[in-house]
Amino acid sequence: MRRPGGARVLRTLAILRKELVDMFRDRRTGTVTLLSSILAGPIFLLLLFNLMASQAERARTLTLPVVGAQYAPAVVAYLERQQVTITNAPSDYDAKVRSGDLDVVLIVDRDFAHDVAQGRPATVRLVFDRSRDRARASIAQAEALLGGYNRLWGQERLMLRGVTSSVANPLRIESDDVATPQQSGALVLFLVAYYGLFASVMGGMAVALDTTAGERERQSLEPLLMTPARPAEIVVGKWLAVCLFDALVVTLTLTGFYLTLAFAPLPPVGVPFLFGAREFARFLLVLVPMILMLPAILLYVGSRARAYREAQANVSVLLFVVSLIPVVQLFMQRKEPGWLMFVPVSAQYSLLNTSLRGEAPALVGLASSWIAPLTIAVIALVAVARHLSRESILSGK
Amino acid sequence: MIVVDGIAKAFGRRREIAAVRNVSFAAPDGEITGLLGPNGAGKTTLLRMIATLVLPDAGSARVDNCDVVASRYAVRSRIGVLSDARGLYPRLTARENVRYFGTLHGLDGAALEQRIDALFATLGLAALADRRTAGFSQGEKMKVAIARALVHDPHTILLDEPTNGLDVMSVRMLRAALRTLRQTGKCVLFSSHVMQEVAALCDRIVVLSQGRVIAEGTAGELVARAGTAGLEDAFVALLGSDEGLAA
Repeated sequence: MRRPGGARVLRTLAILRKELVDMFRDRRTGTVTLLSSILAGPIFLLLLFNLMASQAERARTLTLPVVGAQYAPAVVAYLERQQVTITNAPSDYDAKVRSGDLDVVLIVDRDFAHDVAQGRPATVRLVFDRSRDRARASIAQAEALLGGYNRLWGQERLMLRGVTSSVANPLRIESDDVATPQQSGALVLFLVAYYGLFASVMGGMAVALDTTAGERERQSLEPLLMTPARPAEIVVGKWLAVCLFDALVVTLTLTGFYLTLAFAPLPPVGVPFLFGAREFARFLLVLVPMILMLPAILLYVGSRARAYREAQANVSVLLFVVSLIPVVQLFMQRKEPGWLMFVPVSAQYSLLNTSLRGEAPALVGLASSWIAPLTIAVIALVAVARHLSRESILSGK
Repeated sequence: MIVVDGIAKAFGRRREIAAVRNVSFAAPDGEITGLLGPNGAGKTTLLRMIATLVLPDAGSARVDNCDVVASRYAVRSRIGVLSDARGLYPRLTARENVRYFGTLHGLDGAALEQRIDALFATLGLAALADRRTAGFSQGEKMKVAIARALVHDPHTILLDEPTNGLDVMSVRMLRAALRTLRQTGKCVLFSSHVMQEVAALCDRIVVLSQGRVIAEGTAGELVARAGTAGLEDAFVALLGSDEGLAA
């Protein structure tokens, strides 16, 4: 006879092994989950980098359609000296800006020369749609160039009158950006950290629901409950299996990001964050509590549902909460309060950002970030085990 | 040997739905005992209480002298159950399905594999052993479920409506399997609402209606008690109606 404790461990391991085999045999879920996790990084980074590169490109080589270029030849000449390509604006420029075909159009007032001769400010007008992300770089460039011409012209006039230009410019603005090269590009940081978190939710979802609600729906739960396996052993075995699968998905996702940044021919846009082997390890370390907590919650949600579809509907609420928290944090522009480290998801998101900025997460913060997720995981697992030993689990067929 | 003594179970928020009321009977070793009753008579609840899945409100049940409440895990090791829910894992092969349950019963290694081989040979599953059960017919799934219930060589076998949804060939196969078990001295208890099923197979019949035992004995004893010509008439006379009973 084996010791009872040994038998428990053996049964738990048998459940773990069976669940893993079952997961990897599920072609549809397995392929979709694993493939999408390894491809997420490359696809996402390629899109993002191409967007950044094309914006930089637009700003560098500004093409500016002009209406009435003949009224202000000096302005046009100045712009051309600044490497701007001047074209004749089409007559329906207004509609073209609205539809996004043109980023920005310059209109020179008919009375430009007359106003200048009279000593009045002459009018140029920029037509653009600032709500268009793509056009933003071109708009800023056009505004900056015209502003520059305005200052230059004004300084020349002052000099003609024997006045130094500093009279008109009493304030000198100096900028001192303390961001390291990795600290700029907050949006990119946000998206990469967000994706890391997202992978830990999505990774375990399908398999956790399949092993709970799916098992109940397929009517194999009742026979399982009639074996000597205790509910606690069943739950822990299933939980470990889902955790391992989740960890695999997270690792694959991060590997996708790492390999893409290390080897893919990405456009040179001055990568505003670091994601090397060290960040890879830190990411995994930060996400461990999520990899332990989320499968436990998913098992709980799955075990409460009578059918797979019902479980899917309930789990979308969890997905919504987990994906919303980082967005709230992104818009919360003040410094993060200390208690944030005790909030699951928030703490992880914050620590992921720290890692991406090239800093090591503080050990105290890291330790605090483990407390709540582990507590929740234990509570969820106990709840599932209790639920499995209830008679009501049998009634819902 | 199963001994049930005054067992009762009610469901609902205020326990207002009595499923089983004060049921007592015994199912001896080396015999097939049939629980016959119309739908809703309490057969499934009774079997689930003996299988330790549902706790009785009153009374007791013992399997080979192990109480189903106090020693529920000892009972689970001694019984093999083919319940109404007999789902398999479609992505596992027939052998893997049965092996999983064997492992949970504490078997392993060569002994387990030999046991599976023997069961599959008896049930005519040898050719299907290493195929996934996803594409199996109802009859084939049934055979795997039987092998799964018997993998740990239980002394007591419980079957809940085992012939539901089976074709004639599968029913014959099942009957043959149960007779073999009886010959080896096992205690077999099975429920059905099909009279022919019970009449063809059982040594002893326990007739349930509305959660109560209304008659018990061999087929001959029941006919004599009801004073009717045949078994079918005897059941109708005992139940007071033929509602929910299938011939």
